[in-house]
Amino acid sequence: MLLFRDGSREAFEELFARHHRAVVRFAWRMTGDASSAEEAAQEIFLRIARAAPTYRPTAKFTTWMYTVARRATLNYLRDAGGDGETVPILAEGEGEDGSYPVQLPGPDDRNPERMVWETQLTERFRAALGELPEGHRAAFVLNRGDGLSYGEVAQVLGISVQAVKTRIFRAREMLLSRLSKDVSA
Amino acid sequence: MACRDIRETISAFVDGEASPAEAASVREHLAACERCRRLERQMRAAGEGVRQVRGRVPDRFREGVFARLDSEGVLPPRKKLLRGSWRRAIVPVAAAAGLGLFLLTSREGVRGPAPPGPVSARVETSAPSAPSPRGDAGALTAEDREMLALLDILEDPVAFEANDDAEGMELLAPGDSADSPTPLRGGRTGA
Repeated sequence: MLLFRDGSREAFEELFARHHRAVVRFAWRMTGDASSAEEAAQEIFLRIARAAPTYRPTAKFTTWMYTVARRATLNYLRDAGGDGETVPILAEGEGEDGSYPVQLPGPDDRNPERMVWETQLTERFRAALGELPEGHRAAFVLNRGDGLSYGEVAQVLGISVQAVKTRIFRAREMLLSRLSKDVSA
Repeated sequence: MACRDIRETISAFVDGEASPAEAASVREHLAACERCRRLERQMRAAGEGVRQVRGRVPDRFREGVFARLDSEGVLPPRKKLLRGSWRRAIVPVAAAAGLGLFLLTSREGVRGPAPPGPVSARVETSAPSAPSPRGDAGALTAEDREMLALLDILEDPVAFEANDDAEGMELLAPGDSADSPTPLRGGRTGA
């Protein structure tokens, strides 16, 4: 990024080559569909390029990149007609024992039937993710999807680590509740 | 600890973000609570679920991004020197550097005590067998002929590479011309 800031086009090309997959994945998880993800991801790279003159290496580049990416997708979602913040927190799917009736695949579950089921589940999961409030979705996606620590997520979102912890927990609750409703419907 | 009070900590534990004290507390609770063990598995699965939502990079995404960046003038222009193969460019660049160094060292040699003169002798023998296409070789000084011979090498990268051996390396060694009778560039001018 510093090389690009100093006028190297090749440095930006290298930066793009390294990070475009992560940016597209993030945009996909935040927007929920291919065309929106593409537009949002393009916007993210435009913002990165425009912001280069003022870039200061005070944090990891990826933390800065996700900060730009989150703001760009948030603006995109607002422009598109909704930021997801009005979605109520669902709690009624919780079972009597305090857990949720849905069974989700774990990393060790791999067989053909399971994979077909997983494909359907992934689609339901994507829809459920889209119903989360944007701030909760961003925290969960950055941590579980992109591998940022709670501390890094806190930097990206501009909130405390405790707030990240709470948002991620609430995101899990809402997702499990939503998926449970799908199963029982 | 009550299940409701520890769920948020279980979530952090699943993400590897619980403190050692919190993690110990969670382990102790899970060992005794079946429903929280089930919840812990579901929380892990939810994390796996978000990783499964991947999408894919659209076709021609790169072209689209760079077209927008170029149209807005955000990116600096590509440097033309680097557009082609740098391997091809490096041969004449290195040869020019070698020429410059040679000229520096040979001029110093002329200014100093009179050397035995292997350079001029070698040029005299090579000139008749390889007349320069650049003009009347007979009107040129020995130094001019040496330069023309080097310019020929610049126009023939294969020949330049063929001379890139131990003798060629000696070409760049200061003080070589005065003490050593070894030809500076084997084959090209001496044969």
